[in-house]
Amino acid sequence: MSFTRFLVRRTLTVIPLLLGVVFITFMLIRVGGLDPVGQLAGPTATQAEFDMIREELGLDKPLWQQFLIYTGNVMQGDLGESWLSNRPVLDDMLERAVISLELLFWGVGLGALIGIPVGLRAAFRPNGKFDQTTRVLSLLGFSIPTYWLGLVMIFVFFYLLDWAPPAIGRIGLMIFPPDTVTGSYLIDGLLAAEWEAAWSATTHLILPVICLAIVSAAPIIKQTRAIALEVLSSETVRYARACGLPERTVRKLVFRNSAVPILTFVGTEVTGLVGTMSLIEYVFAWGGLGQYGLNAIVRGDFTAVQGYVLALALFSVLVFLVVDIIVHLIEPRSELS
Amino acid sequence: MKLLGSKYIATGVAALAMSTAISTASLAETLIVASPNVPEGFDGDALKAHTQNVVTQVYENLFAYAKTEVDGRTVLDPNNVVPHLAESYTVSEDGKTWVFKLREGVLSPYGNELTADDVEWSWAKSFAQKRTGNFIARVSNVTGVEAISKYEVAFTLSAPSAILLNALTLYVPGIYDTTEVKKHATDDDPWALKWMESNTAGFGAYHLSRLRADDQALFVANENYFGDAPYYDRVIYKEIPSEASRVTLLKAGEVQWIDRPSIQKVVDMQADPEVKVERATSRSVAAARMNPKCDLFSDVRVRQAFNYAVDKDALNKAVFAGQADKAGSIVSPIIAGSAQDYWVYDFDPDKARALLAEAGYPDGIDEPVELLYADAFWHQEPVAIQVADMLKRVGINAQPTRVTTSEMRARAAPAVQDMCFFTWEDGPIVLDAVYSMFLMSHSAGVSNRAGYVNADLDALIDAGREELDFDSRLALMDDAQKIWAADAPWILAAYPATFEAMAPNVSGWVYYPDEHERWKELRGD
Repeated sequence: MSFTRFLVRRTLTVIPLLLGVVFITFMLIRVGGLDPVGQLAGPTATQAEFDMIREELGLDKPLWQQFLIYTGNVMQGDLGESWLSNRPVLDDMLERAVISLELLFWGVGLGALIGIPVGLRAAFRPNGKFDQTTRVLSLLGFSIPTYWLGLVMIFVFFYLLDWAPPAIGRIGLMIFPPDTVTGSYLIDGLLAAEWEAAWSATTHLILPVICLAIVSAAPIIKQTRAIALEVLSSETVRYARACGLPERTVRKLVFRNSAVPILTFVGTEVTGLVGTMSLIEYVFAWGGLGQYGLNAIVRGDFTAVQGYVLALALFSVLVFLVVDIIVHLIEPRSELS
Repeated sequence: MKLLGSKYIATGVAALAMSTAISTASLAETLIVASPNVPEGFDGDALKAHTQNVVTQVYENLFAYAKTEVDGRTVLDPNNVVPHLAESYTVSEDGKTWVFKLREGVLSPYGNELTADDVEWSWAKSFAQKRTGNFIARVSNVTGVEAISKYEVAFTLSAPSAILLNALTLYVPGIYDTTEVKKHATDDDPWALKWMESNTAGFGAYHLSRLRADDQALFVANENYFGDAPYYDRVIYKEIPSEASRVTLLKAGEVQWIDRPSIQKVVDMQADPEVKVERATSRSVAAARMNPKCDLFSDVRVRQAFNYAVDKDALNKAVFAGQADKAGSIVSPIIAGSAQDYWVYDFDPDKARALLAEAGYPDGIDEPVELLYADAFWHQEPVAIQVADMLKRVGINAQPTRVTTSEMRARAAPAVQDMCFFTWEDGPIVLDAVYSMFLMSHSAGVSNRAGYVNADLDALIDAGREELDFDSRLALMDDAQKIWAADAPWILAAYPATFEAMAPNVSGWVYYPDEHERWKELRGD
């Protein structure tokens, strides 16, 4: 299959998937008891005012009709208006998506940078001291609740040691954020040569990034080790060793043959971590998409919840698409399907 | 017309002179408030999360509570209101027309002077929106507000009102700088409500300078403020969703104020020298409410039995860490006329069982009784769990059941009220016994959320609303509280107490019935 055909076909398969997500989210929210009318109407509202708001929100219409209207709006890029922020959900999410992506990029990047070499090294000497230590550490990484880890890190590195800045978001309170170009304070600060803002953004990134890196590195280590062990016991590697190839060359071969499954796993991991990131954003007052979604769920802002879930689905699809493409670039013989 | 307001002029002038003497030059000081949310709107009539916290800083009203010292601490004197944006007033013989003379030279941050037109427009907005401000108008009998000269505004009442001046201390109906607001009104939006979602235009000490949704709001002092310049010239209202993070930031001195800490954190912080915790008895009541319209609770003996079955002291210890005040009336003891003696439901499980037997439940109630709770108040869930546990001990199969806050609010609205048993907290924003009773127990009270109706009680409250004599009003409310206690429609859990946590150097906090500090009164030296 040609690359272009693959892209077109993948894009077409995404449409029913997203429609399914829209349908399920829509229905779950409607039957899940999220009802903003009570909050919008206020404590003194009469039944007539309740009805008026219900009508304004279109909640008086039959469910199927509401769904068709919502789907039609979504197709035109209108995800509705958040009653919490009074702004279009799409605008809200676009603004916050960059904020979350920045954290995700550094967090998972660091996690992969640590996790992959550690997992490979553990696999090369299975059951050795390094492997055993790594297994304990990765088990810890798996079991520590993210929320608790964030709070402990704040307490230790900010409150006790004073090494990290306070958990008040992406930049110091007294520092004026740089003009928005990309939405990342770090990059925008560098672009505008506002060094103080860039430095503050960097320091504020450290704790949440480490937190996310710990959470993401643990499964990457475990999975990389398992994949590498499988490759090590493959006929290709056994043959290479039988031919007397130096250990360094064998390791290169193992790395190359492990790259595709590891990359696929990291892609899966990225999509899975988006939920975890909500908690990290919450603890560090990060103000990204995760915090937005969590807030919307807690406060019953159902247009925002629907938009958030849809954005997560779209994000997952995009990640898998990108992974497929990268895999194809690494291994041109792989099937694009 | 009879001039009644002259004593207020003297009080106001004296207060102004005194406060001027202690005023300091404007200091470049920043107060950082850590809060779970950034305000989601700035219209006092359409309260969203944290709107009330900040409109109280921006919109000031014609009158204000006087302050007094009790045990070396400054508190509001609910029985003494003094002129604020108003200077004096006259009231007609029949008590139905009040004319207020406005203070001259009061400027908004936009440089526009306060006029009677501003007051008229602001009240018209509340009437039109039919929400919080309209409710305040209704309970204080105000039917119309009209500018009669540049600095004089007339209030027309349907009946005399003893709480009108108290109502005029509130942030709503707020007094808007209509010269500015009208610039943003459109045919579709004549009250500029869209603009008010992210802007303010009041005559108070602060105004909104910058807003970043989900992040922070920056307020700056109104340079034209008619009173003393506040100590803090900037207030950063910062969203820190995690309470643990808020407390850590306060301890580390990164923020100076955290919004309404939970009781567990209060207990921790009370022992911490890096934090100052202030406490006041609350004007509100935490309770489990029983809906007499539901079959089970239509029998007063059942409601009384439920009350006897609950150990309020144990509840205070288990839920409120012993920090709350025991409740003996729907009217908080900080309000004149609170009658605590009629509440006779001390813990008595035997009496509870006996009453249940009399009501036709000799073996208890085996059918599950849902006790609904939400998370609008932190104590709703633990109160529900503890109460359910205590009820089980007398054979009542109570089951705590979680619902969303939005569902609970919707179902508690006057037009619905279909919840039979649920936990909630309510309190009056006007420190007045008649207002409290009207709000929470009258059939037309918006905080009477569980459908309780008693015609005799309604009659007493209605009489109290029109009675101007202070002692007579209190006597009427004494009778009303007696009836309410006998009917026992709520299980009174406690007056939860209000706690504020701040940096040790912050002073000047005074408890307000809306439970929000006033930034202009705080100092950090």
